[in-house]
Amino acid sequence: MKPIVTMLSLCMAFAAAQAQTPPATDAPAGLVKRVLGSVTLERAGALQPAQPGLAVRNGDQLRTGAQSAAAITLADDTLLTAGAGSHLVINAFAYDATTQDGNLLLQLWRGTLAVVSGLIAKKTPENMKVQTRTVVLGVRGTEFIIDARGDQ
Amino acid sequence: MSAAATRALAGLALAALIAGCAAPPPPPPKVSDRVVLLPQADGRASAVQVTADGQTLLLDKAYATAERAGPALRASQTTAEAVSKDYGTLLAQQPARPQRFTVQFEANGAKLNPEAPAVLERVRQALAALPAPEVIVTGHTDRVGSDEVNDKLSLQRDTAVREILVAAGFSRDTISVLGRGKREPLVPTDDGVAEPRNRRVEIKIR
Repeated sequence: MKPIVTMLSLCMAFAAAQAQTPPATDAPAGLVKRVLGSVTLERAGALQPAQPGLAVRNGDQLRTGAQSAAAITLADDTLLTAGAGSHLVINAFAYDATTQDGNLLLQLWRGTLAVVSGLIAKKTPENMKVQTRTVVLGVRGTEFIIDARGDQ
Repeated sequence: MSAAATRALAGLALAALIAGCAAPPPPPPKVSDRVVLLPQADGRASAVQVTADGQTLLLDKAYATAERAGPALRASQTTAEAVSKDYGTLLAQQPARPQRFTVQFEANGAKLNPEAPAVLERVRQALAALPAPEVIVTGHTDRVGSDEVNDKLSLQRDTAVREILVAAGFSRDTISVLGRGKREPLVPTDDGVAEPRNRRVEIKIR
């Protein structure tokens, strides 16, 4: 129950943060840059294979298979790499290239994720969060790995 | 019961007692999540704050880790070697870091200065090596003239650079332009000063 409560309060905090940032435009949140093995992108319930050049949008879910990986560059220069057996959700992304204001919430439900934070975290560190089932990360910069594979 | 048997029993009881005291605790809860802070490429300070059920850890040294195991959140430390072994495959797949280039212009127009073509050639080569390349072109002016004139001029400079890249074979869709006018001088000057280094286009590729 507790993680759910944490998640809800985090989502609410982000909804509040989003209200203060400029309205999201139609621009994608980022682009898939590399795909290794089998990677699927789920958008509004529809699945498609991910390939380099595929645009990533708010709410998209990425799943990688065994011995697979996916690399994504977000519009604010955040670099994301999901390792094998991962489930990553781009839960919220908004970014204004002119002011560098924005917010970013990622959820890693399983697998591994390497992150190099970008301009959102540089300008407003409290506006970037990464969440797993049991922990929440506040990002002050810049390079880290999250491993949600369980004990190995 | 013989004295020897009594002693033996007492000894067994003692052994059991000691064993009870020294019994290893139940196996620790498994690690469900782990966070590892990596050194930053440019050596600047870096940190992440990890929170779980009201517990908070600040990781602010390279290879510091936080592990969630059952209810506990504990701090530990790993090494470059261990990260390379555990996560080398993951890190090898990272997207290219953004690269930045600058070209300069003659005064009052969108004519590139003599050094610019060599820079644009380096941009072209770097772009050719990127999967799903993106270009962000940001134009700037010196501080002579009004905002209105300089906003227009900075966009003309963006366009000049974009058309060179399009002519070199890069898709117009992958190139975005932003005109910043005289708002972000590279070299701070008084208004009205024609500083050549401020007449520039910054090209970020990723």
